[in-house]
Amino acid sequence: MATPGGPRPGNAPPNYNPNALANNMQNLQINQQQSSNVGGTAHRPPNTSPFGQQPPPFTGSRPGPIPPGVFARGPMPPSNPAQTTLPPNMVPTRPTGPPPGSRPPPFASRPPPPGALPSPITGTAAPPNSGAGPRPGPFSFSPLTSGPSAPPQMSSHGQVSNGPPAFGPGMAQSGPRFPPAMGGMPRPSGGPPQSPPVLSSGPSSQPLQVRPSFGSPPAGVSSSIGQLAPPFSTPSQAPPFSAPSPAPPFSASPQNMPPPPGSSPFSPPVPGVLHSSGSPFGMQTWPPQQQQQQQVAPPPLIPGAMQKQQMFGMPPGQPPLPNQSMSLGQTGQSKIDPNQIPRLSTSSSVILHETRHDNQANPPPPATSEYIVKDTGNCSPRYIRCTINQIPCTVDLLSTSAMQLALLVQPLALPHPSEEPIQVVDFGESGPVRCSRCKGYINPFMKFIDQGRRFICNFCGFTDETPRDYHCNLGPDGRRRDADERPELCRGTVEFIASKEYMVREPMPAVFFFLIDVSMNAIQTGATAAACSAISQVISDLPEGPRTMVGIATFDSTIHFYNLKRALQQPLMLIVPDVQDVYTPLESDVIVQLAECRQHLEILLESIPTMFQNNRIADSAFGAAVKAAFLAMKNTGGKLLVFQSVLPSTGIGSLSAREADGRSNISAGEKEAHKLLQPVDKTLKTMAIEFAEYQVCVDLFITTQTYVDIASLSVVPKTTGGQVYYYYPFSALSDAAKLYNDLRWNVMRPQGFEAVMRVRCSQGIQVQEYSGNFCKRIPTDVDLPAIDCDKTIMVSLKHDDKLQEGSECAFQCALLYTTVYGQRRIRVSTLSLPCTNMLSNLFRSADLDTQFACILKQAANEIPSGPLAQVRDQATNACINILYSYRKFCATVSSSGQLILPEALKLLPLYTLALLKSNGLRTDGRIDDRSFWMNYVSPLPTPLVIPLVYPRMIAIHELDEKELELDDSIIPTSIPLSSEHISDDGIYLLENGQDCLIYVGASVQQNVLQQLFGISSVEEISNQFILEQYDNQLSKKLNAIVNEIRRQRCSYLRLKLCKKGDSSGMMFFSYMVEDKTPSGLSYVEYLIHIHRQIQSKMT
Amino acid sequence: MDFSELEGIEGLRWSWHSWPTSKPEVASLVVPLSIMCTPLTPFTELPILPYEPLNCSQCAAVLNPYSRVDYVSKIWVCSFCYRKNPFPRSYAHINENNIPAELFPTYSTVEYHLGTGTVSGLASGLVRSPSALSGLRSNSSSFSSVSAYSGGGSGLDWAGVGVAVGPAFVFVVDGCSSPEELEALKRELLHTITRLPENALVGLVVFDAMVKVYDLGFTECLKVVVFHGERELSPEQVAWCSSRVGLVSTKVHDNTLAVREGWVRNRVVLAPVPLLLSCQGAFGPPSHEAVSWEGISSTKKGFLLPVSECEFNIMTAIEDIHSSPLVKPGHRPLRSTGVAISVAVGLLEGCLINTGSRVMVFTSGPATTGPGMIVNSDLSYSIRTHRDLHNGYASYYKTSSEFYKQISHRLSDSSIILDLFACSLDQVGAAELKFPVESSGGFMMLGESFESEQFRKCLRHMFDRDDDGNLKMFFDASIEVVTTKDVKICGALGPCVSIQKKNDSVSDKVIGEGGTHVWKLGTLTSKTCIAFFFEIEHEQNAQPSSAFFIQFITKYRCSNMGLRKRVTTAARRWVGKHSPEIASGFDQEAAASVMARLAIHKAQRNLAEDVIRWLDKTLIQFASKFGDYAQEDPSSFRLSTNFPYETAFFRLMLNREGVVNSLIMVQPTLFQYSFDGPPVPVVLDVCSISPDVILLFDSFFYVVIHYGSKIAQWRKLGYDRDPSHESFKKLLEAPELDAEQLVAERVPVPKLVKCDQHSSQARFLLAKLNPSVTQNSTHTEGSEIIFTDDVSLQVFIEHLQALAVQG
Repeated sequence: MATPGGPRPGNAPPNYNPNALANNMQNLQINQQQSSNVGGTAHRPPNTSPFGQQPPPFTGSRPGPIPPGVFARGPMPPSNPAQTTLPPNMVPTRPTGPPPGSRPPPFASRPPPPGALPSPITGTAAPPNSGAGPRPGPFSFSPLTSGPSAPPQMSSHGQVSNGPPAFGPGMAQSGPRFPPAMGGMPRPSGGPPQSPPVLSSGPSSQPLQVRPSFGSPPAGVSSSIGQLAPPFSTPSQAPPFSAPSPAPPFSASPQNMPPPPGSSPFSPPVPGVLHSSGSPFGMQTWPPQQQQQQQVAPPPLIPGAMQKQQMFGMPPGQPPLPNQSMSLGQTGQSKIDPNQIPRLSTSSSVILHETRHDNQANPPPPATSEYIVKDTGNCSPRYIRCTINQIPCTVDLLSTSAMQLALLVQPLALPHPSEEPIQVVDFGESGPVRCSRCKGYINPFMKFIDQGRRFICNFCGFTDETPRDYHCNLGPDGRRRDADERPELCRGTVEFIASKEYMVREPMPAVFFFLIDVSMNAIQTGATAAACSAISQVISDLPEGPRTMVGIATFDSTIHFYNLKRALQQPLMLIVPDVQDVYTPLESDVIVQLAECRQHLEILLESIPTMFQNNRIADSAFGAAVKAAFLAMKNTGGKLLVFQSVLPSTGIGSLSAREADGRSNISAGEKEAHKLLQPVDKTLKTMAIEFAEYQVCVDLFITTQTYVDIASLSVVPKTTGGQVYYYYPFSALSDAAKLYNDLRWNVMRPQGFEAVMRVRCSQGIQVQEYSGNFCKRIPTDVDLPAIDCDKTIMVSLKHDDKLQEGSECAFQCALLYTTVYGQRRIRVSTLSLPCTNMLSNLFRSADLDTQFACILKQAANEIPSGPLAQVRDQATNACINILYSYRKFCATVSSSGQLILPEALKLLPLYTLALLKSNGLRTDGRIDDRSFWMNYVSPLPTPLVIPLVYPRMIAIHELDEKELELDDSIIPTSIPLSSEHISDDGIYLLENGQDCLIYVGASVQQNVLQQLFGISSVEEISNQFILEQYDNQLSKKLNAIVNEIRRQRCSYLRLKLCKKGDSSGMMFFSYMVEDKTPSGLSYVEYLIHIHRQIQSKMT
Repeated sequence: MDFSELEGIEGLRWSWHSWPTSKPEVASLVVPLSIMCTPLTPFTELPILPYEPLNCSQCAAVLNPYSRVDYVSKIWVCSFCYRKNPFPRSYAHINENNIPAELFPTYSTVEYHLGTGTVSGLASGLVRSPSALSGLRSNSSSFSSVSAYSGGGSGLDWAGVGVAVGPAFVFVVDGCSSPEELEALKRELLHTITRLPENALVGLVVFDAMVKVYDLGFTECLKVVVFHGERELSPEQVAWCSSRVGLVSTKVHDNTLAVREGWVRNRVVLAPVPLLLSCQGAFGPPSHEAVSWEGISSTKKGFLLPVSECEFNIMTAIEDIHSSPLVKPGHRPLRSTGVAISVAVGLLEGCLINTGSRVMVFTSGPATTGPGMIVNSDLSYSIRTHRDLHNGYASYYKTSSEFYKQISHRLSDSSIILDLFACSLDQVGAAELKFPVESSGGFMMLGESFESEQFRKCLRHMFDRDDDGNLKMFFDASIEVVTTKDVKICGALGPCVSIQKKNDSVSDKVIGEGGTHVWKLGTLTSKTCIAFFFEIEHEQNAQPSSAFFIQFITKYRCSNMGLRKRVTTAARRWVGKHSPEIASGFDQEAAASVMARLAIHKAQRNLAEDVIRWLDKTLIQFASKFGDYAQEDPSSFRLSTNFPYETAFFRLMLNREGVVNSLIMVQPTLFQYSFDGPPVPVVLDVCSISPDVILLFDSFFYVVIHYGSKIAQWRKLGYDRDPSHESFKKLLEAPELDAEQLVAERVPVPKLVKCDQHSSQARFLLAKLNPSVTQNSTHTEGSEIIFTDDVSLQVFIEHLQALAVQG
């Protein structure tokens, strides 16, 4: 039983020393008190922090570099030039608001929300505020929360938000190539992220945010929200969904809120997760549309609901659940006002989140929002999110809810720059304290008894002796007196220095092996040159030091290695012709310390494109090349970065153009179509497992213009903890920058090697399955040749026993890994959640983003194994079953004509619909696109899941006009994905974390075109687009927006210009998921469909 | 006439000059009917005829002085089959007073000059003819596109410009050699390169645990193709692999080249097709093959390029070779000699250069990995000995030999020569490697160091050029034997390979390489000598004293790629039973050489002891029959029983050289230099050693100068530097001068040993002396004693006489 921590059977990881990691990830600063996370990197000596070094890369032109972990979400967009350019959202700005300490006042001072709010709310709110004073409610607005911890840091750093400094240099240089992008991000420097108005308005909103005091019954109102009674038919009722929002008060977004119709009572702080835009979570701004909003209330205590609802399992008197209902007339959708249906809203405000409060787990803010976490015992939701923030005591309860219980684990997730770094704990030779039975790691939920002499494991319940040198007396509260000084006893996430027993060998060096396709196609499309140039620039971003080793090889129908260690100036190319049974030419000298071969490498990379410029070999021996490179790396393990441009046509693991086959027998093949999404055979899988065994992680950069059978190829990255990057159709002009930035982020982002991960659960729950990009050799552990901050693993759970109501159920993810600097670490994140017997609690504490992410990932896993229709039905059924359960057991009895949605999950139908229309579940997509989609989704972090299916769309042509609003956020309010919001004279930007489409309507004003793209008519738009920055406000703003998005998404985005009437336009409209399409329902239709299904189940 | 004078005219040595007519009688001769033929004997007067020979339409014999000619009707009668052949138009002017050289009775040997390596007008015409290429590719346009691609620096250039392509040399270098050895070797190689004719093609292969083939046409950087040293590659695989890296690409060019040159016309159409098929059949998607052909030729790699084009690159590459042994403690370095040779051969095969090419292997140790390995790299396994071989303890011997035999087939198919230069203090596994070297006619040199003079001289000698600047090398030879009807051909022993071409004159009885009347030789020199064996028809109709004829037609290519055919026609007489002519026509030396070859041939299959026994038995039989003539002394040919590799070397040379040199090997010469007069030959006996003489001993492989103990003492005292002892100085110089002369002429260069009496080096001499004085015999003061169990010649002959009388 290898425990993650324990000595591992096979490959063993080695070990290292402590600080490295910290340096690596900026957030981990050990002991560096003063350096607040913010901008921490900036302070560090350049070398130490990987991220810190950004300068070189950035050279102006390339927007690319993603800033290292600096930002919570994304590294800074490379593009940002100046440091000054901090995105508005950034923390720093924020602080400006209330000075530290001021926090309490805000609450008090703020006037209650405008009358709009039902009195109850205010009432409730108020008390908390005052009373709550002490608590910096987790939900409170940042300013408020900023209180102690956050504020100071921020202030100190001033506007420099993390990362920025790093970019600084780059900025300066900016100019050349991608000038536009970088161009100046007009960053409102210093400006508080939150618009002033917010603050002012804030007061009103705050009450909402404040958690209603538990217990306060009044709140009940909330539930009402949902119920819009009347069917849509009545206009007046239009607002149905929305509860009257207290909107105005809230941040800017709130303002958009429709005035709450009086009719619908608005429930104040609803326990439910949902909250209106105003809510700190900010996730939904229901802009123009009217929606009701609810404030998020702390889950557990829900204020009473206004209406009584019968709730399953709820004791009488329980507060009603928040929900949203709309009446859908059976008669017809025509009466539905699309503007009233639930929609995603975004908020630019930053949320402060304490993971535990009053010794209670705090439900996390939405994954898509910007938040700053204070680890008060539970790990940050960045590391672990659970689909439901209360754990059902019994399996029956869970199955009744139809929801699934799963964790999304992202062990190395990028922290927000303003968060405290993870503390590193060194237990010396003996290693971390662990339960001797289940090997769970010491954590804040282990209970010390017997004067501290013994402790009870919160996982298995076993009682252990406290190691003598770890002994400490208990205080009056039953806690160890030193609990607050010991990170492992007061923090949800800590990192332990691994002792010898966690190493089977010395920690491996950081090996980067680049493998480049130089077959005819790759050369001619410029893919080879782009790859070489990207690598050449990235070399300087690789970690410094003697532990960094590099190797390079090229391949067409043969494999060409290069001896990098030579006295002679001339490189030596070593060709391996046998691609059936490959080998590697030299045992040494193919992989060399970076410091020893930097120059050679540069010369070589420069000459590769010319060396092969006349190459007429069209064949590609991908499998053999990868295998050969693997053989070269076998001794150490490491990262293998492969640049591939064509379908591997020769040698071991060669593939055939199955897509063509698929097309030719469409009639016969429809049933078998999904087979094209499976790997063609086991060859590559077998290879990949071997790679994983030797700690080789393969990342695949596919720069192609043809079908390459990603379904087969992707097995390699997937099994080895790598990922696929897909540039299709590859354009040397417009994709080179993205390639570079992707590569740069790939090597620079916080990451670890030779990792093993295991999740432990309290008794009663156990892990059922792991899913993601890794290799699994034994059931309990996940082997990760490499893991980085962008990789998420889905862990589905199951009951094996009943849990006690009132107890807590804990989950612990332990990741043993080696940092790029050769230290062996164990990162341990622990999440402890309350157990409940009440169904309503489950719905109230459901985490929409996480739930949907699980649905999405499961669908992706299912796609290759069955007919598509089945997968689509499953997705819809999952949605229906949940809603049905809610409707049946939790909602008040009401007209069957009403569709009642739990507040927390009210967007589930929209997302599910979007999922059905996504690349992966569409029938009309190219096979490769679908394969890529599936592969992309597999390790996708929760915050990126929603935008993937429901991209963000904003209007660009109006940027000028919306100047005011811009002040508070670079990115304007997003628009629902419906073509009715697209006007012919507008320009729209749509992004999903991967691609960024800019749609230009047919009758856009010429001067706008000129300003943005330097063209005078739509006809001049070319296929290959590079965003440039021109000297005008509009263009600068567009660039700023793009850069901000890049930063948020940790991705450079593929930019594409679309125009009406051609295929690019069609593609753009295919993202309008709310529209009716030939093969899919419109949003409204879909709601009706769901509603009917529920109804039929009810009867 | 002396037999050796006759040899000077015919280039032949006959064991028997008169042949009995009946089979039993032939059998009773003991020594078989045989001819030692040195095809390229340098003749003082050799007519070179600038036209094609006339062949008999029935037996393919060439017109010769023994043919009857009817000048009136312009008809000639074949002297072998009596077929009447008309003269072609070009002989229209023939008459009694105007006869072509080949009919001159004095010219038993003539040589036809069939073409030159330079492009002729006729050839260039062919290139354009699509028909010549139609078999190759569907249309001629694709051909032109190929040539278009190969624009710069590609192989086509040399073909296209009309420069004749010379012979091809692939140097196969052992990267496991020590740095010093490697330096010396590299120096020699560089020197060799500078001395090659500009049109010679060169290639470079370096091996250690892997085999690296240098791409000499790539200028961006050094580029090598790496083959795994442990994997056996089938010829198809090599072809296939090389096609993907472009090794084969020259194939295309070569075809065109061949077309231009005209004489390989038929090959052009035929050869590539099967090759293509084999590529496709064996591997890979055929569909891609077509594509890659284009691709290959365009990206032309130059693994084999004319020196003129790649001189700089190959020099750089050679200089780049560095010692790279992967040696684990307690292990021999990993050498993939077998694969290296296989790859080098593949390289040449791919290029279809049947025009003469050598694979020259330079190694300094045994193969320890992959096919053809001789010994495990683990030092705890010692290398096999003769005894191991016979007892079957040599675990790798069989598979390796098998591997090398296959190599030799490939060599012979493509007329490639394999040379082995082994400079090592350890054994290198020549026993296994011998086969391909031998059958291809390659050169084998075993030395101790690449720094040695011996090695340098050998190598330089090989690349000697004649007065016209052409290398003194001949390639791609074949020898065809035509005989009178009653004479049957049994086979041949020597550096040749039977191509299994049968006709009426081929006997069922096979001796050596038999079953054919045509043999192939990868190369030959002016000294190469082949022993041919004959027998006579059962039903003998020949009349005693009538004549029979044997014609040798040797086709070969000069290093300038000119093709020649040398025709030697010889006539002898049948004799009746018990004719004294039989005995008088016995050539003792030739017989000894022939017997030596037969003995070696047997020794390859049997234990040395058995062979010696066989020899003894044969000798007894022979002696009892021709008692008077029992002067021959096969016993002095002692099969050495030491290491297989040395033996292989010796056997190989013995099998190749002519009668005189073979005799030296069998029975070395010993000259005595003393103050008493000019050097005199002395008996090869230990008694010849005396303190006051210098002995010059020549055993072909060794030349030993042996200073008697007194002489040595004087020399040490420096008398030779004393003007008053001028004569002593001269005495010292004389054998050295003679020795140098011996050494200079001979290839392989013999090892020159200078030793003093009683020194350890003297063993080279003692080993070869007749042990008339042994530890068992009475000991005379001052003489040498040889410790041996061998019997002395005297004892031997006494025994022989006794047994012969008994017999």
